Amino acid sequence: MTALAAPPGTTLRSGPGYWWDSYRMMLRWEMTSLRMVLVITVIVQIVSGAGFVLALGLFFGQVPPRAALFVSTGVLVVTLITIGLVLGPQLVAMQKAEKTYDFLWSLPVPRTTAALAWVTTNLVLGVPGMAVALGVALLRYDLALHVSWAIVPAVLLTLFTGTMVGYALAHSLGNPMLIAAITQMLIFVIIGFSPINFPAEQLPGWLAALHRWLPLAPMADTVRAGLTQGVVEEVTRSYLVLGAWAVAAVGVTSAVLGRRG
Amino acid sequence: MTGAGQDWSLQVRDLVKAFKEVRANDGISLTVEPGEVYGLLGPNGAGKSTLVKQVIGLLAPNSGSITLGPHDLVADPDAARQLCSYLPQAQMPIASFRSREAIDITGMIRGGDREAVARRRDELIEALDIGEWRDTMGAKLSGGVRRLVGFAMVTACPGRVVVLDEPTNDVDPLRRRLLWQEVRRLGDAGVAVLLVTHNVMEAEKAVDRLAVIDRGRLLAEGTPSSLKAEDRGRLRLQVMLTPRVETPDLPRFVQAHTRVGHNLMMVVAEAEAAHAIGWAQELVGLGLAEEYALGATTLEDVYIRLTGDVEGAGREGTA
Repeated sequence: MTALAAPPGTTLRSGPGYWWDSYRMMLRWEMTSLRMVLVITVIVQIVSGAGFVLALGLFFGQVPPRAALFVSTGVLVVTLITIGLVLGPQLVAMQKAEKTYDFLWSLPVPRTTAALAWVTTNLVLGVPGMAVALGVALLRYDLALHVSWAIVPAVLLTLFTGTMVGYALAHSLGNPMLIAAITQMLIFVIIGFSPINFPAEQLPGWLAALHRWLPLAPMADTVRAGLTQGVVEEVTRSYLVLGAWAVAAVGVTSAVLGRRG
Repeated sequence: MTGAGQDWSLQVRDLVKAFKEVRANDGISLTVEPGEVYGLLGPNGAGKSTLVKQVIGLLAPNSGSITLGPHDLVADPDAARQLCSYLPQAQMPIASFRSREAIDITGMIRGGDREAVARRRDELIEALDIGEWRDTMGAKLSGGVRRLVGFAMVTACPGRVVVLDEPTNDVDPLRRRLLWQEVRRLGDAGVAVLLVTHNVMEAEKAVDRLAVIDRGRLLAEGTPSSLKAEDRGRLRLQVMLTPRVETPDLPRFVQAHTRVGHNLMMVVAEAEAAHAIGWAQELVGLGLAEEYALGATTLEDVYIRLTGDVEGAGREGTA
């Protein structure tokens, strides 16, 4: 025999308290949802980040100091953004394929809390891998790093933008197969064809020019600028481009999440 | 009526929702009162899920209105999500949640405070007899238990409206009964329950009123008895045909028929009962049928008469 404590409420919740409670509960929902893959994902991030740094040494034997610096700082960016840009959209694709998407978006929380809970989850998943990759690089290549406070906004903005671009992509596209295909392709673009692990000069001119307006190179520039001295030029421009992408991704995400079919 | 005289009925008026050329909802109007369990019956693709997704703010209608108390749910989907709880037809995404956690977190997301949600969770777990799986991960639950946990999740802190889309799918017969009791209690607490189903027999026992929907239109609405009233004076003749036998030529007294697999169901006038039995016996005698039964019409017959359909596959029929 059950008894509801009282007839259902009729007042609508609103205000900062409602936002904060919703954020905390959505964060708990995200963390619990990923519980079975949380540890393994963090380990994969650590191993792949550190592995990438070490593999470069095996590949080239003697790695020139500038190349070591680029790869060691670039791999941090790769570690930070792959969850938001690749795993995130794939999870959404899975929710759409399994038809659980509707339930999640029927929950009575402000849309921003769901998005920020996911950004926070990405931070928890991405930062340990980033830190370990940096540690391994320091040990292996004896890097001359100059860590400044600017690394904090750089990491946060890079993670936020990567996550929100992935979020906008996943929620804009209806077809789960298409989402999966695009994110697979993104991995190749990120690792092989973006000036993240190597300088832009090594790319064909047209691709280098394109990357001046895409978010990947500015992500690498801002993070690298927070860890080195005299390596990155035009860091202000990178912040501006990255900031513009962040704003655009938030705009697209709000429009898509607010849209009803 | 609750609170300060506010009418908290859910009112849907002239609702039209089209996907390209298809009008999934074509001018539907209905009202669900607080405390009422209201069934939406209809075959697959009738437009039931489209209707409820507009109620909970996931879809926007092309025209028409949906209001709940003072709130316009079309203009304010945030209010719709706060005031309506939704159990979708698909299973809940709780593979890595323990049952009790899934109920607690959803109850708190819905605005319940920790202690009240914990109390209600314990009550629901006991009432639905799923205590055995209280700490089991969702991935290890059977489909039926997962469904019951889903029900507890959305009703741990229910809204003014609770939308249940096929809540008894995969649930065993004993716990189905427990689930219906809980649905009834939601009604008793003042919740308006909108129940989507194509299981006519269950709906007949569980709902206060119901609407039959097909091809986006509301074909009939009323209490189960009022809908059956039109079929007074009619009987249902059910003939189990021998496998691989074609539907035989039907006598003139058969008013409507439908066939699902080997099961041929017909509506006949009471006055024709003797003829109907004679004809059915003849079919058995000729080896065309294995058995037959003649009985009072049920809601299912009303449903068949209105929609010319029974649960989709392998059907033919006229109404």
